[in-house]
Amino acid sequence: MIQLTEVHKYFGHNHVLKDISLTVQTGEKLVVIGPSGSGKSTLIRCMNLLEKPTSGKVVVDGVEITAHNAPVAKVRQQVAMVFQQFNLYPHKTVLENLTLAPIIVGGVAKEEAEESGMKYLDRVGLRAKANAFPSQLSGGQQQRVAIARALNMRPKIMLFDEPTSALDPEMIQEVLDVMVDLAHEGITMVVVTHEMGFARQVADRVIFMDEGEIVEQGTPEHFFINPNHDRTKLFLSKILR
Amino acid sequence: MVGPFAGFKWLALFANWKVFAEGFLTTLLASSLSLCLALVLGIIFGVLGSTHFKFPKAINRVYVEFIQNTPLVIQVFFLFNGLPHMGIMLPVLAVGVLGVGIYHGAYIAEVIRAGIQSIHRGQMEAALSQGFNYVGAMRYIILPQAARVVLPPLANQAVNLIKNTSVMALIAGGDLMYRADSWSSETLHYGPTYVVVGLLYLSLCFPLANLVRYLEKRAEVSA
Amino acid sequence: MKKVSLIGLVLLLMLSLVLVGCSSTPATTQSKEPADLKAIKDRGVLKVGVKIDVPKFGYKDPKTNQIDGFEIDLARAIAKKILGDEKKIDLQAVTAKTRGPLLDSGEIDLVAATFTITEERKQTYNFSDPYFVDYVGLLVKKDAKIAGLKDLNGKKIGVAQSATSKKAIQEAADKLGIKVEFLEFATYPEIKAALDSGRVQCFSVDKSILFGYLDDSTVILPDNFTSQNYGLASKKGNDALAKLINDTVNEMKSNGELDKLITKWGLK
Repeated sequence: MIQLTEVHKYFGHNHVLKDISLTVQTGEKLVVIGPSGSGKSTLIRCMNLLEKPTSGKVVVDGVEITAHNAPVAKVRQQVAMVFQQFNLYPHKTVLENLTLAPIIVGGVAKEEAEESGMKYLDRVGLRAKANAFPSQLSGGQQQRVAIARALNMRPKIMLFDEPTSALDPEMIQEVLDVMVDLAHEGITMVVVTHEMGFARQVADRVIFMDEGEIVEQGTPEHFFINPNHDRTKLFLSKILR
Repeated sequence: MVGPFAGFKWLALFANWKVFAEGFLTTLLASSLSLCLALVLGIIFGVLGSTHFKFPKAINRVYVEFIQNTPLVIQVFFLFNGLPHMGIMLPVLAVGVLGVGIYHGAYIAEVIRAGIQSIHRGQMEAALSQGFNYVGAMRYIILPQAARVVLPPLANQAVNLIKNTSVMALIAGGDLMYRADSWSSETLHYGPTYVVVGLLYLSLCFPLANLVRYLEKRAEVSA
Repeated sequence: MKKVSLIGLVLLLMLSLVLVGCSSTPATTQSKEPADLKAIKDRGVLKVGVKIDVPKFGYKDPKTNQIDGFEIDLARAIAKKILGDEKKIDLQAVTAKTRGPLLDSGEIDLVAATFTITEERKQTYNFSDPYFVDYVGLLVKKDAKIAGLKDLNGKKIGVAQSATSKKAIQEAADKLGIKVEFLEFATYPEIKAALDSGRVQCFSVDKSILFGYLDDSTVILPDNFTSQNYGLASKKGNDALAKLINDTVNEMKSNGELDKLITKWGLK
């Protein structure tokens, strides 16, 4: 479903991704962990080309999006992203946040987009907030709306870029619950997170990144019981405490 | 002694009210047309200036710096007397509208660029990630948000624009200022003339200035 | 903008004038000397508004920064009459637009600046008898094939704001049954620029002024329109000054001084 081949990314002289090759299978739940500055956010942002790799190839759903003149916008409709800072549209109501892109970009009829939008709001437990503005919601609620907004695109892939890092501790769980619920469906998920409980619960595979490289990968069990590398052990010891 | 405000001068002024009515209409027409032009130019060049690409940014800088750092009078004088030497003879109203429109377009471009850049980067990323192209993201996500921020300074520009249409007086533009200059210097009744003309400009600008204050207040409340 | 600030200034001046005008009482002086002349004598200098862009009449030489001309000499004669010294003058550049307000505010005592006498203007200012008679003329491009006013049918004529040439040409055009359109400009160089660029097909002001703008590509037509009588203007109310100015002009006329000056400046 997603295939990265020999991807490098530089920010100026800063080499943030070093020769990454990685394949995500259809329906796979991939969790990416690693210390801050390890390049994990850049990695996931390469998957929908919010960051353009300096070199290497990214193929999503059979389309090489790093190619010249690739139909990037078209591909992005299939690859929804949930951000650390939610990035809801503050000038639109909750329901409009969900329906704007499907109507304008996806060409879905307004009524249809609203109907499915209400369905997804229901699913994240926020049906009652359909006509509220984002600023009237708590952080946890906003992130749930962001997930519903992603879902209303009917994507094949969902990318989560540290979705709980900006939340107050008491709101993290409500967002994780929604994500776990999602994981039980067939959708392909790539999640950058520090939530090890979530990783253990849903991940098919966990990747540990450090200094722009994939240091180690394996099942959650492998990671939590018997990681190979010292760097992995050090990182896990810090965040598991 | 005959003061500048002697009664017969007022009477003469009101007897010739049509001169000023025509000037007022021309000023109104020139103001609205050049405001439209300035908005279109301002949005286009403001968006160009807010991109992360070198070339459109360079275009924005050339336009803004060139226009902001030369006097409007010279720009208008060039359009009026320079272009004909190159075989382009624009009607005087067009000269006024183009001159004032292009001039304030540069200022509005800066207002809009600042407005766009005040919108968090994540908004553009969210829009792009949902499959919007750059133009669509601008139109549906960024500009509507920027509009709230830029409305007060934009209305302020409109006030300045109206006043600056008086530059047309220099090129026999037939606007309110031209009529005032012409009539008052012919009759020497400059006293009542500039009072009345000043009030006419005030009647155009004061409501707009109040709008600015209202918008600023609203922006503060919503921020 | 320059223009806007000028208006602001003018408005301020007018306001202060209204206030001052209300409180001042002209009949306070005890001496025989009229107040207006006494003020000038007390000051020790005569303040005169003159042109600086009209060669031979009032022109500031960019090389020497000296203002000289026929009207400057006239002003010197008036100064000599009042103060006994022709050097005691303070020259101020005026334009058609500023000379009125400057007189009203008292910034200048006297205007000697190709100021044409009209009935309407006499209502507002004291004018002396004419010291020079000029005619409105037409300056056109040589290659425009214009031989007279009738060839200007449907054409545009550039004139100076506040100048009387518009009225003169309009009357002549009406007689000929032709239609002309006037564009008014604040300064003469602007009219010349408009003639060069083709915005106007004719530059029309007093002939004496036109000569300053004659060059290889232009020609002054032989037509003469309405005589323009130049007079020295002063503020209404300063009637002793006005009388003295008028007496001086007439005296210079009768003793041949005026003709000498006219010859000196090559105006005949």
